[in-house]
Amino acid sequence: MVEVIKQGLETSIQDYPGRIGYWDQGFPPSGPMDSWSFRLANILVENQSTAAALECQFIGPTLKFKSDRVIAITGADMSPKLEGKSLPLWESIEVKANQVLEMSFATLGARSYIAFSGGITSDPWLDSRSTFHKAGVGGMKGKAIKDNQILPLGKSTGIPGRKIKKNSIPEISNDKRWTIEVVKGPNDDWIDEEGHKMFLKSDWKLQAKSDRTGYRLEGPKWTFTEKATHKGLEHGSEPSNIIDQGYPIGAINLAGQTPIILVNDGPSMGGFINPYTVPSVAFWKLGQSKPGDIYSFNEISVEQAQSLRSDQTSICSDRSIESKDDSQSFMKGSTKTKDINQIKVRDFDKEKEKEKTRDKLMEKKGLEKMKVRYFD
Amino acid sequence: MATEVTTTVPGNIWKVLVKEGDEVKKGDTLFIMEVMKTEVNHDSPVDGKVIQVHVVNDQEGVDPGTVAIVIE
Repeated sequence: MVEVIKQGLETSIQDYPGRIGYWDQGFPPSGPMDSWSFRLANILVENQSTAAALECQFIGPTLKFKSDRVIAITGADMSPKLEGKSLPLWESIEVKANQVLEMSFATLGARSYIAFSGGITSDPWLDSRSTFHKAGVGGMKGKAIKDNQILPLGKSTGIPGRKIKKNSIPEISNDKRWTIEVVKGPNDDWIDEEGHKMFLKSDWKLQAKSDRTGYRLEGPKWTFTEKATHKGLEHGSEPSNIIDQGYPIGAINLAGQTPIILVNDGPSMGGFINPYTVPSVAFWKLGQSKPGDIYSFNEISVEQAQSLRSDQTSICSDRSIESKDDSQSFMKGSTKTKDINQIKVRDFDKEKEKEKTRDKLMEKKGLEKMKVRYFD
Repeated sequence: MATEVTTTVPGNIWKVLVKEGDEVKKGDTLFIMEVMKTEVNHDSPVDGKVIQVHVVNDQEGVDPGTVAIVIE
């Protein structure tokens, strides 16, 4: 068990992938915003991937341990201290009963994750322990953790000294600029060509009125196609109004002229258009950005988003634990993290052209039945 | 000795509750920030007199660690 001495700004119990399967009834998945860092924390303490841990936002908590534990802290740097002594991030650490873990405010990134060996064993609701405080479900009594609460933990296992490979750690920087991947749609046909160009070329500033429901962005004005400007009254008065529809998670929801990225605790439906959607692989960047940070958006295809997601899933595994050999040679390691951080956009049209040329050549050589793959 | 009160979150200054020359007690709220639609009170760590105020109401995009108020 662990006692909450100070709750922090809004520290909540989350699990991954969260409350899946109830979106059609209006329940969002919730879960950690930066699931990359979250999953690595659980891996460090050798928890099951579904184990619940803490998400700390901007200001972390102070916790007192009631039993010996192995813990791991990942994500944002909130200068964690155990009994006044600084703790490293991205590493499993031994904690003794009665010791106090103190977190301060985030100096790098925005969300920090604390995993405890054995996991947090609060009561699940609809198959998940994730906190969805707007509906008052999951977590501890449906809300963020509070001073003096006791968090129940499972049977402690895990060993200290496990580390994450340097090249498996997401690159969180303080330069206030992020390139966020987006896929087009579902309502991209409501925005005219100018509007699409404007969106992809502009800087978008993240507003302070952003939380786990939505990320409000400030930027230039949108322009629309006739579909938006000449439509039945039942759609509503704004060009961005549409007859109520289901929303994808990660939708860039256009409320009048204000784009709001609908994130982990977002609504499942409503009457605004969603010209673009942020794929799950880029959510960690949203989770680690702060108000005032600048986003620019990079359009990728659904196939690219899926392939990047599977790369990220493979990073979030035991493969990212540093072995003795790695610690000597990690500088030479793989470049997978780099690929995700600085995605090289494959030009699919160009590749298709290449394939066509190759097909023609093959036809000439009488090899037309050869199987051709567009994607590796 | 002067005590600097710094911001602890990134976000907007919502309300500044003191002005230069005000006497404050330890625990008095000096200013309130807004982040994630949450109000974050910043309280005085000491008894003293406000000698500098570096923040204003509705100031946007303030970084954590910014010196907001100086108390003597």
